[in-house]
Amino acid sequence: MTDLTQTATSSEVQAPQGRLAGQTFARLLQGGLIIVILYFALYALYFYQQPRALSAGSIAALMNNTVPLALAAAGQTFVIISRGFDLSVAGVISVCNVVMAVYPLDGPGGAVMSILMCVAIGGSVGAVNGFLVAYLRLQSIAATLATMIICQGVALVILNAPGGRVADWLSYELTDRLFKTIPISGLFVLAVVLAWLYLRRTSFGISLYAIGADEHAASLSGINVRKVRFFTFVSAGVLYGLAGFMLSAQTATGNPTSGTPLLLLSFAAVALGGTSLAGGKGSLFASVMGAATLMLLQKVLFSSGVSSFYTGVFQGCVLVIAVVFSGLIEKLGERAAKL
Amino acid sequence: MQNSNIQTAPAKALVAEAIRKAYGATVALQHADITLEGGEVHAVLGENGAGKSTLVRILTGAVAPDAGSIHIHGKPYRPHSIEDARTHGVATAFQELSLVPNLTVAQNLLLPHLSRGIAGMVSGRRNIERAAQILAEHKLGRLDPRVDVSTLPLADRQRLEIVRALKNAGSVLILDEPTASLAETDWLFEQIERVTARNVAVLYISHRLSEVREICRSATVLRNGATIASVSLAEATDGDIFEMMVGKKVRDELSGEGRTRTSGDIRLKVSNLSGGTVEKVSFDLKAGEVLGIAALEGQGQRDVFRMLAGLEHVQHGSIELDGKPYTAHSPRAALKAGSGVAYLPEERKTEGILAGMTAASNVVLPILGKVGFPAIVNDRVEFRMAKDAGERVDMAPRYLGFAIGDLSGGNQQKALIARVLATGARTLLLFDPTRGVDVGTKASIYAAIRAFTDEGGSVLFYSSELPELVQLVDRCMVLYGGQVATTYARGQIDERRLVTAMTGHFDARERVAS
Repeated sequence: MTDLTQTATSSEVQAPQGRLAGQTFARLLQGGLIIVILYFALYALYFYQQPRALSAGSIAALMNNTVPLALAAAGQTFVIISRGFDLSVAGVISVCNVVMAVYPLDGPGGAVMSILMCVAIGGSVGAVNGFLVAYLRLQSIAATLATMIICQGVALVILNAPGGRVADWLSYELTDRLFKTIPISGLFVLAVVLAWLYLRRTSFGISLYAIGADEHAASLSGINVRKVRFFTFVSAGVLYGLAGFMLSAQTATGNPTSGTPLLLLSFAAVALGGTSLAGGKGSLFASVMGAATLMLLQKVLFSSGVSSFYTGVFQGCVLVIAVVFSGLIEKLGERAAKL
Repeated sequence: MQNSNIQTAPAKALVAEAIRKAYGATVALQHADITLEGGEVHAVLGENGAGKSTLVRILTGAVAPDAGSIHIHGKPYRPHSIEDARTHGVATAFQELSLVPNLTVAQNLLLPHLSRGIAGMVSGRRNIERAAQILAEHKLGRLDPRVDVSTLPLADRQRLEIVRALKNAGSVLILDEPTASLAETDWLFEQIERVTARNVAVLYISHRLSEVREICRSATVLRNGATIASVSLAEATDGDIFEMMVGKKVRDELSGEGRTRTSGDIRLKVSNLSGGTVEKVSFDLKAGEVLGIAALEGQGQRDVFRMLAGLEHVQHGSIELDGKPYTAHSPRAALKAGSGVAYLPEERKTEGILAGMTAASNVVLPILGKVGFPAIVNDRVEFRMAKDAGERVDMAPRYLGFAIGDLSGGNQQKALIARVLATGARTLLLFDPTRGVDVGTKASIYAAIRAFTDEGGSVLFYSSELPELVQLVDRCMVLYGGQVATTYARGQIDERRLVTAMTGHFDARERVAS
């Protein structure tokens, strides 16, 4: 009670400037400050081990490896900020991958058709998820588990064993470098990040954070919670479709289970980026960096001569350390914001 | 005093007639009528559960009524969402506050219509300017529109909630307990006067009658989901209003049966207990006694129970059980401490029953340990253990085999009371044990409580129903604002007195040294 009266009296005086500074610091942390620092530290280590690491070729190779997971994590971030989980990521990527391997469309026109197909597949699965969660009020984990299983079944129907061949134009061009320096796959991620930076400044973006933090308050504030939740899942689905498209370009072949390894890693990337699984906080950019860190870690371990069997152990440990560390830093930031 | 440039509306600002709303079998509103005039501040008064919040939710479009009609300025009004209600000029400052913590003051104030700049992006600068202007208009210029709401103290959040409603209220403004976290009312009343000058009708809900008298001209009293009367406050005394709120209930069965209880030793001694919203609460609970707690919603009664049950942290103060220091860090520890303390939680569905298991399993859950480790617990063992406890609350043994979720609310509650009795604890903490149960079940529960105290057990009993307290308890303590307002001995307990004390109007002369 003494606490309460103290805060009440302090409120009567002008809000101190420190509160705003602390808040800006907290925003930066949420935006992925820690994961960016971690990434560059890891990259320095990688460079120390492999001086070739800064060549355009190896940057592009790393980028190509990273992009599918980065896009999957980006989609997952949408749903997690809105306080949900989306397991359908594995199913959507698998379906897109087998569709591209079974129905290859060559040339730039074919690429455009393929990307539209993948986006349509992802968007429709996302719409089903959104309908089930937002309008029928199913729990997101149950609804998306169902759509994931359905999609995995569909993928097996389309292609029952690894095989097929993705259009050559795609698998060649999308893994190439623009002007021999900029990896093309990276441009896709850049476009998604830019779209996100735009989106989070729209009403939709603000509503997304609001429903993640307090759905009831958001609805009492006049936000159309169902609509926002629905389009959250649709946006996520579109990004998974894009992830499936990019994955197909990297692997150049079809595999009906190709999305499965990305499922848990997408959650790991989001958590590593500091996005709270409890919703209302986080950033898509941070998740992309989280995905990049996970993939970079693999490279570093490989170049250190650590057996690839240990990769999972290290990824898990880094995840725990990063989440604990960002939790500590965030507490400090919040304390500064409350001063 | 009508503003000349405002056209005097021929119809009333808001007329709601015969509003009815039921949630399943529970009727929240039976027949509510209310009429608001433009520029008038009208109070809605009623006990807990009288239907005030349901009425608010209907008027704001959060829920749809089952029957009845609402007209605003003569036009039919049937909002299907909060946003829809706002477009009709109805805005609400909610009791539970509807601010989103991780958004800024400006965003919260302007949602869902944020100013947009380039390419439909929300313009930070313009929103901050607009918000700053709105805040300045309502004399809250000291708030920085850029900070997150989560960093604001509770009182400022409440003011912000009110400002948002003021801004959106075109014809009707609903204020649900607007002063719950405000220390003074000057700012609020000044703002209310400003909106009534705009011919906006204000619906004012508060349990503080003195405050209601200060700002409102008339009041509608609700009881058991029905409008009892609409009165002019100048003509009604406090006594009249309490009478209407409580009703003239049949007193015959309620009067005590003249049982003189030998007050036993002090079982539970609570001194200066603080924690949560509770501040320095002290009381003694004697063996063989039922100590009642009367309070309006949210006066700290929940925290008192939860601290005693080991569910909430005790900040200060001491508790002694049978003369020995008592600290419980969990309900399990509370059961095991000394002669045992068992807690019956408030929310039957979420904190009480395990819906999928049988009633017998639910009853014997806390005492399963007594069966011993290697012994197998099967239905037969559970049934045998649950039967005795079930008999004490008059529960027919045939119900014990059913999944508890399929039983009626009354039988569920009996099973839960049987559970706390079965623990063998000598002190029971019963939080609103008869909420939503029928008269027959109530009688069984009262009988079980009496039988328990006759054997020397002690009961701390909170009820939202005053007649029940009057009938059952030996002493009644009234909590107000997290403190013990007063304590009445058996002979002094009557509903009128309790309501008066519960609303903060207790008279120091009536204070009884316990």
